[in-house]
Amino acid sequence: MARMKFLCDAERCIECNACVTACKNEHDVPWGINRRRVVTINDGKPGERSVSMACMHCTDAPCAAVCPVDCFYTTADAVVLHSKDLCIGCGYCFYACPFGAPQYPRVGNFGSRGKMDKCTFCAAGPEGDSTEVEYAKYGANRLAEGKLPLCAEMCSTKSLLAGDGVIIAAIYKERVTQRGYGSGAWGWQTAYRETVDV
Amino acid sequence: MLTKRKDRQASRTHLQTLTGGMAAAPLDRRTFLRRSGLVAGGLAALGSFQLGTVKKAAAISPPQPGVPIELKKSICTHCSVGCTVTAEVQNGVWTGQEPSWDSPFNRGSHCAKGASVRELVHSDRRLRYPMKLVDGRWERTSWEEAINGIGDKLLEIREKSGPESTYWMGSAKFSNEGTYLFRKLAALWGTNNQDHQARICHSTTVAGVANTWGYGAMTNSYNDIRNSKTMLVLGGNPAEAHPVAMQHLLEGKELNNANFIVMDPRFTRTAAHATEYVRFRSGTDIALIWGMLWHIFENGWEDKEFITQRVYGMDEVRKEVAKYTPDEVEMITGVPGEQLKRVAETFATQKPSTIIWCMGQTHHTVGTANTRASCILCLATGNIGKPGTGANIFRGHDNVQGATDIGLDVVTLPFYYGLTEGAWKHWGRVWEIPYEDLVGQFSSKELMETPGIPLTRWFDSVSLPKEDVGQPDVVRSMFVQGHASNSITRIPESIKGLAGLELLVVADPHPTTWASLAVQAGRKDNTYLLPVCTQFETSGSRVASNRSIQWGEQIVPPSFEQKDDYQVLYLLSQKLGLAEWMFKNIAVEGDRPVPEDVLREMNRGGWSTGYCGQSPERLKAHMRNQHKFDLLTLRAPKDDPEVGGDYYGLPWPCWGKPELRHPGTANLYSTGLNVMDGGSPFRARFGVERNGETLLAEGSYTEGSELTDGYPEFTMAVLQKLGWDRDLTPEELGIIQAIGDDMGDIGKVSWSTDLSGGIQRVALSHGCHPYGNGKARALAWNLPDPVPIHREPIYTPRVDLVAKYPTYPDAKQFRLPNIGFSVQKAAVDNGTAKSFPIILTTGRLVEYEGGGEETRSNRWLAELQQDMFVEINVDDAAERGISDGGWVWVNGAENDVKAKVKALVTERVGKGVAFMPFHFGGWFRGEDLRANYPEGTDPYVLGESANSITTYGYDPVTGMQEPKVTLCQIAAV
Amino acid sequence: MRIWSLYRLISAAVAAFILAFVLSMAPAGAQERPAVNNPGAQGVSEQQLLDELGKIQGRVSIPDRKATTLQQPQGRDYQTFERTALPWVGAFIIVGTVLSIALFYLIRGRIRTQAGESGQKILRFNALERLLHWTTATAFIVLAITGLNLIFGKRLLMPLIGPEAFSSWSIWAKYAHHFVSWAFMLGVVLMLLTWIRHNLPDRYDAKWLKSAGGFFDRSNRTHVPAGRFNTGQKLIFWSVVVGGTALSVSGIFMLFPFSFTDVNGMQTAQYVHAIVGLIMIAVIIGHIYIGTLGMEGAYPAMGSGSVDLNWAKEHHSAWVEEQQGKTGARPPPHTAAEPAE
Repeated sequence: MARMKFLCDAERCIECNACVTACKNEHDVPWGINRRRVVTINDGKPGERSVSMACMHCTDAPCAAVCPVDCFYTTADAVVLHSKDLCIGCGYCFYACPFGAPQYPRVGNFGSRGKMDKCTFCAAGPEGDSTEVEYAKYGANRLAEGKLPLCAEMCSTKSLLAGDGVIIAAIYKERVTQRGYGSGAWGWQTAYRETVDV
Repeated sequence: MLTKRKDRQASRTHLQTLTGGMAAAPLDRRTFLRRSGLVAGGLAALGSFQLGTVKKAAAISPPQPGVPIELKKSICTHCSVGCTVTAEVQNGVWTGQEPSWDSPFNRGSHCAKGASVRELVHSDRRLRYPMKLVDGRWERTSWEEAINGIGDKLLEIREKSGPESTYWMGSAKFSNEGTYLFRKLAALWGTNNQDHQARICHSTTVAGVANTWGYGAMTNSYNDIRNSKTMLVLGGNPAEAHPVAMQHLLEGKELNNANFIVMDPRFTRTAAHATEYVRFRSGTDIALIWGMLWHIFENGWEDKEFITQRVYGMDEVRKEVAKYTPDEVEMITGVPGEQLKRVAETFATQKPSTIIWCMGQTHHTVGTANTRASCILCLATGNIGKPGTGANIFRGHDNVQGATDIGLDVVTLPFYYGLTEGAWKHWGRVWEIPYEDLVGQFSSKELMETPGIPLTRWFDSVSLPKEDVGQPDVVRSMFVQGHASNSITRIPESIKGLAGLELLVVADPHPTTWASLAVQAGRKDNTYLLPVCTQFETSGSRVASNRSIQWGEQIVPPSFEQKDDYQVLYLLSQKLGLAEWMFKNIAVEGDRPVPEDVLREMNRGGWSTGYCGQSPERLKAHMRNQHKFDLLTLRAPKDDPEVGGDYYGLPWPCWGKPELRHPGTANLYSTGLNVMDGGSPFRARFGVERNGETLLAEGSYTEGSELTDGYPEFTMAVLQKLGWDRDLTPEELGIIQAIGDDMGDIGKVSWSTDLSGGIQRVALSHGCHPYGNGKARALAWNLPDPVPIHREPIYTPRVDLVAKYPTYPDAKQFRLPNIGFSVQKAAVDNGTAKSFPIILTTGRLVEYEGGGEETRSNRWLAELQQDMFVEINVDDAAERGISDGGWVWVNGAENDVKAKVKALVTERVGKGVAFMPFHFGGWFRGEDLRANYPEGTDPYVLGESANSITTYGYDPVTGMQEPKVTLCQIAAV
Repeated sequence: MRIWSLYRLISAAVAAFILAFVLSMAPAGAQERPAVNNPGAQGVSEQQLLDELGKIQGRVSIPDRKATTLQQPQGRDYQTFERTALPWVGAFIIVGTVLSIALFYLIRGRIRTQAGESGQKILRFNALERLLHWTTATAFIVLAITGLNLIFGKRLLMPLIGPEAFSSWSIWAKYAHHFVSWAFMLGVVLMLLTWIRHNLPDRYDAKWLKSAGGFFDRSNRTHVPAGRFNTGQKLIFWSVVVGGTALSVSGIFMLFPFSFTDVNGMQTAQYVHAIVGLIMIAVIIGHIYIGTLGMEGAYPAMGSGSVDLNWAKEHHSAWVEEQQGKTGARPPPHTAAEPAE
């Protein structure tokens, strides 16, 4: 089975936010919930870089480890998913997530949060593939249709890569070899405990 | 944390209820419509709507498992890259968007706007029904009532003040067919007061570039930039304005190890990826380019052979450039001499080089001269007419190129024929309307041939005294279809104009800032809002920046009472009694003119620009066969049965009739190709000689040409002289003869007026180009500055330079006085630069477009930019006690105006420079005008308009405004 | 809060320094034309940022300050803490406490009132005090159980009742924790106000400590004089005040996530809350033991409010004297009182 990963090539990312709205479009994500976002580092200064970030679907996912109700599970494609039926909205996964991926609709009293929502690698959730209930809770299930996450598919500069880790690492390596520079696979060390060596 | 969130669970329960309903009856259009109504009610019920308190509307168009998916293709309605949008339609509802892998332009990619266009259609903030102001309040009305009311008033004003007192403001958002109908309607109404966004976009490019080498469009294409070794972006920010173009730029940069030089007053997202970033002072582009040319001439880096063969007047440029020594240039622009020398050397020696620009060059009083200087830089270094070279001018809107070509412009009839008697007669022949009848529609033959009032000055044409306006009466009514009001400078004065209009009609998918400002101006009645479809709800062709024409099909029909542009124009022309002329050769189905027929009529008249070969059938074949076109050359394999040998989208000029199968022209002025492979020389547009010097090419010609030197444009007389007239078919000859009779001399019938296409066909068959083989003009004797010279902006912080580099003298242009010189002098005399020490420049954000109303009504985009802001340098902010994210007042240099916005403290802008995005509207002088919108149609995000701060300043050649440089002062609130 | 803003200030300063350093390096490289047009040479590197700043932050356009953090590898530390450290430490503390008490009970047995019951009662806690104690105590027990559920629930309870039932229970437990916390916090404040004057150090404390309150005197003969509260009780009191405050402050951080701090601050709040919570649970287990099973005659103090005079004399002689001195006579026989235990 493939081991799905994301890789954002910061030499290509221009903070156009296509990944963000593609995600909103595909899953009808509500206002205030940002499954994906683009962060610009050193904004306005030489050396400025933008990186698109969402759930990285970590190896040994911290969110899953800290979840008090064990609502996370990892698919055969190594996609980290969760069950909104089990989630209690405690917010622990946000503290554990190195990438700020979990999102919560804020409701009711104090900090009590609704069911966590996050990037599903377009693989939805535990419900049956491509059902209405699944869409309502998690959004579309592109993986089940043999498609990859829409954010990466629609990336304006082909900066964001999604797919089997081996393949996207090879694509990235080829790029770096060709152009002679690259600022690395952002987040890989933390998420997958490995880097793309070029 | 400003954003309040709604319970996901709550919305889920809602959804489950809905899905429960859906299980019984699958979502069809009817349910969808009902549901969108419900959702709108929910949002409207929010009452006092505040920033950041948006609640999630339940998904109104979720995918429907098990229901067959129909794929439809249209073109993104935002920038000019021309990305294909692939829509998934189920039961007549647009339920999803898929990447368009086959398009050679976007290859699946989109930017934030393109990836969210589905929501443009579904947005619950759209106008649904015609509305009108009744005693200062918006009320729903019917189409019939609205059209009757508008028509009666228009006819009344026409009776009283003449046809010139109605202003027709069209749109770069039209399809070609919509543009053409709008243009034709204005012509038949009898005025040249008709214009569109190109005025405030690339009007100066069109004027400057066309005056240099024939046509004022992007010479190559986004894809061709992949071939460049040096890319110079001067006055453009494609990372935010044309993100998908950046794919081609960045991949080209990587594959060729190319130089990517960005020259901009602002360190943009594009600059972040540059190999060299040059910061210079806003409004000093000419000095900058001349500074580069100084080094190029000094070191002999110019392309001498190219200049000798194909350029006229370069010596005059040399003389001017000599004045721009490194010291002088550094003094004017602020760019270190060494850096500029390095950039000049790179551009001139590491070829092929291309220069890329956008609004950064055009939005100036010297816009035309700026673009001319850029062209001259290409000419001097021989960087034109080859892959990887050229002036790659990134247009703004999805069809601003098409709308420009089709002459939605105060100076010309469709396809740059101009306004001369000959031009009117040509179109009279195409339309089959006698010339005398056309003249009869105008106040006078003189006004018929006089350029109209540019839309940048529409309010001046309302507010100025009658005697200052060069037409029988001031403008009293305005019909706006698809144009923002907040993208035009000097908003405080436009509000006065709004108050002065007797009739205002806005036809648009959204109420736009026209609606909120009209109420603000105190309008009580005679103000209409007509709900119009987006391009996704109709069909038609649109032209990308690279001149490729793409056909978009209707994805879904409109949901409420919206009508498409064709229908609106049909209903109006019918009311005005012009329908019979308008649609003489165009079929109308119900109240909808058939766009394919409109395109065919354009094909019959668009000879001058090569809009003659792109039949609807060919365009549709291209959309079907997108995957066959090469990424680099945009060409399909020659053996393909449907599109063999064609360049994608048949980029104009595509000569002859469609049957001739000219492939279109991917890169303009490429002499290395046969004319039937898209080769072309410079257009012999300016005559054959001047002061004894030839204006025709010398020793340069296209591949396979039977004439191996320069030659003039083809006329019947030229054909006869060459003996090639024998090649004309009898049918062609008959048509030419008839036109010749009309003109009084068959010899005068030319490649551009011959409706048979015979002259073009014969010229091409001899390997020759119909428009001749001329030289490009480094010296354009018909312009105010035949060779561009640096001129300080009207509002400049460098008052010390005004005496040496003053702006153009006051003059009457486009029927109105242009008093830029007096304004500049007054600003210097009054010490404006002391009270307003910060240079203000404006530009785009990636999430929004143009006036921004439709994108700010798209919840997916609006969420990403919730506040209007001003970028201010860290030092300037510190001096003023301004903190990042805090509220500030931006005070304008005119009208005592101020705007309340958030501060974005950053080093993107240098010290003494501020930047504001121009997409916001709905606030004025710190006041929120949300209540001025018809209920439920206010965009999610409102904010101060940058253009309430921008000031006077108009390019003498085109009337372009100057929003890229003015002065302001900023203070913490 | 102040600490966190200071922390931010420092990180900003460090960032500025690094940037200045990077920038000062850039022109040196720009002197020679590089073979490759490498804009990345001056670009920021992930590893460098992580090494110098610990995490990576930038600018986002959405109005969500949390979103500005691109990467915080500290999440992995939090993961280790939550997954490994916390359950083991927690189990050690709680099981250790229970075992120690059991051992203590086996060795020491129940602490008896040496003089036996006098039959005379003395009012030790009035109704308001008892109400305060029991409100806080109930709140604490609810908080402890629902809190422990987050650590041990999925390991112990979920296998028994299944994930769905466990999730439903946990949602209620979460709400209970959120709401009941306010009662606890109020209780801590009121207890502080009510009992602080009796819990200040006095002259008896040294002696009490020296003899360890007679806890280890199996003959039950050691009776150290004490005021209203002996040193052991004072320690409980101050544990509740200090621990309760720590729990309240860290808890408020968690009740209003990110209102006062960033993600690393939230992690710290979690660490503090969990560790202090566990310690408090251990302390309270000891408190419950000694108040009930561990000591004869102690429970009625919080039960009926009145204790046997002999018990009072043995454990709080100074207080009894003070009380008797106050009334000027022996307290009236408390006839209506229930028998102790």
